[in-house]
Amino acid sequence: MAIVKVHEKYKWKFLEKNYFYSIGAGMLVTLGAFFKTGILNKAVTIRYPEETRPVSNRLRGLHTLKRDEEDRERCTACFCCQWSCPADAIHIEAAEVPPERAHLHPEDKYAKVFQVDLLRCIYCGLCEEACPKGAIYLDGGIPMPADHRDKFIRNKEDMLEEKGGPLIGERI
Amino acid sequence: MVKITVDGTEVLVNEKKNLIDALKDVGVSVPHFCYHPKLEVVGMCRLCMVEIGSAKVDPATKQIVKDQTGKPIVIFNPKMQAACNTPVTEGMYVNVNSEKAKAARAGVMEFQLINHPLDCPVCDKAGECALQDYSFSVGDSGSRFREHKRNHPVEKIGTNLRIVHNRCILCYRCVRFERDIVGRDDLELQERGNETVIGYTPLNASSGPLLDTNYQGALADLCPVGALLNENTLFQSRVWWYDAKQSICHGCSELCHVTTNVKDNELYRYMPPKNPEETNYFICDAGRFSVHEFSRNRLHAYLLKGHPGKSVDILPQVAENLLNASKVAIVGGSTLSNEEVDAIQLLVNEWRNSSKDVAWEFRTETPMWENRFAEKADFLMMVDRRPNSKKLLDSKAVSIGERKGWEEYLSQVDLIIVLNEFSAPYAFDATRGIENSELYKLFEQKDLWKKTILVSTHESAATKKALASLPVKAFPEMEATYTRHDGQIRKSIPVLKPVKGLKTASEVLASLSGKAELARR
Repeated sequence: MAIVKVHEKYKWKFLEKNYFYSIGAGMLVTLGAFFKTGILNKAVTIRYPEETRPVSNRLRGLHTLKRDEEDRERCTACFCCQWSCPADAIHIEAAEVPPERAHLHPEDKYAKVFQVDLLRCIYCGLCEEACPKGAIYLDGGIPMPADHRDKFIRNKEDMLEEKGGPLIGERI
Repeated sequence: MVKITVDGTEVLVNEKKNLIDALKDVGVSVPHFCYHPKLEVVGMCRLCMVEIGSAKVDPATKQIVKDQTGKPIVIFNPKMQAACNTPVTEGMYVNVNSEKAKAARAGVMEFQLINHPLDCPVCDKAGECALQDYSFSVGDSGSRFREHKRNHPVEKIGTNLRIVHNRCILCYRCVRFERDIVGRDDLELQERGNETVIGYTPLNASSGPLLDTNYQGALADLCPVGALLNENTLFQSRVWWYDAKQSICHGCSELCHVTTNVKDNELYRYMPPKNPEETNYFICDAGRFSVHEFSRNRLHAYLLKGHPGKSVDILPQVAENLLNASKVAIVGGSTLSNEEVDAIQLLVNEWRNSSKDVAWEFRTETPMWENRFAEKADFLMMVDRRPNSKKLLDSKAVSIGERKGWEEYLSQVDLIIVLNEFSAPYAFDATRGIENSELYKLFEQKDLWKKTILVSTHESAATKKALASLPVKAFPEMEATYTRHDGQIRKSIPVLKPVKGLKTASEVLASLSGKAELARR
């Protein structure tokens, strides 16, 4: 029985040894992509996080606190969101509205402290549903990474809108 | 008992009661705001409207006319009647849940809500509010009122009470309570018609600009809406978070039954009990709001000359002191439970048998020295503010007859053990401060701190000065019985979780005695 020396039968040729064809094929793909993105401007990727993709308006993302038409805070610290939160992510401390803040609040009770712990939050949207005043919505986009746990606790200043507007109502 | 027919069902009810109470006994609840079993009936809210009727009687034969099926023909009055103001009579026909009655109640609710702002999210009453409950159960979902709602600013009318006029439905309960129960007659309806508000009218020059009764919490309780609110619990929590249990109040030897409101292992307030008919309808502010103190300034460490240390180090030293003392005085104890008092009494007898001169006196304040234990400060609260004075009185824990002799005795003894007399929620309110109590002044004056061992639930100026301070469990942390001023024994249940390792006063003293024996061997 003759011995078949497979390694000699399939021995690579000189050009194969230098990956000539493979590199060429690879370079063709690269060149194609170079022409497509660099010359023809048809890139499919974006420069995240400087650029972001448009998200669905049904996305449940970061929390925002809303203001009403007169730029007063909608939140009246009724604790409904805190109570409905299944992950115990919301912490509220209520207080009576001091006279110097009276123009910022429609009622005499306000949330002195309003914190959302993003590491606990499961983005279920129950707070949004529970809110009787339309004050909290999860429409603030996608949460960002951070290098410290404390940075995942969002305070009122981080969430509160600058300008008010009409009630958003039900999500589309 | 008389027989009446409610919604077509014959029931037997007590003829001495009015319709609301009589129907409540047979399980039919008539919605109402202004009616309260302890207050005068005024019929102001008009919510308890029911149809009242009687069987048709043939004027000639004086017989009840019956239809073909043999049932009597009932003629209902065309006008609805208020159930709170209608006595029960034999053979009465009452329709509580007929279409007409439901429509009447829905109409009344619409009127009640005309000026009510419906700001339940910010209202502290939400969750225990009669208006909220009835608005859901008997009211319509909408209102036809299109005008502007009446608007009055919030007013502070009591030292611990504010009135939100917009929420008031003018049920008159607070006015009647002040007039009939407290006996001060200083709340009034002011203005007329749509502008009517409840206002505080000081009766004479000596009463201040603010209501300062001991029953401001009861006023807020009685209010069926969120018009009267207490300021010291304002916006602190929501009603539905409270863990409610039935226990008794620690505030005085009246030992009122209460509902405890606990959240996150902190007592927020006492509320009236679940079955007020069998117990008490009202509780005073002194008991109701002093419960906050059970979660504040608690003594959780063994202190030796004001410095915290380990119990294994401090207890033997204290036991050594106790062993060497031949004359010992025990002060206080009327804040302890029956079980603790019994155990301490056994200990005292043991100490006396081992040739120690032990005197026990629980009277520390003037009213106690004057033996005014069964005297009431007002219609509810006792003059003596300790829960268990009666037990101490019965167990002969009074050693020296008069105050002066006792004070001299204290300066002669080698060791004084003070049981809870310098602890905040008992006996005096924390705002007054422990430095102003009579006992503290006596200790300062005679400089008794160096030979004083404090058994205390709370940290205070006294615990820092005493030779040693031993932490113990407080009233809401243990299951125990207490003796009321009339001898009735009432039971309290644990509603707070004590810090791990905390002992009762009798256990601490018993361990002292055990350690002393160890030292002797």
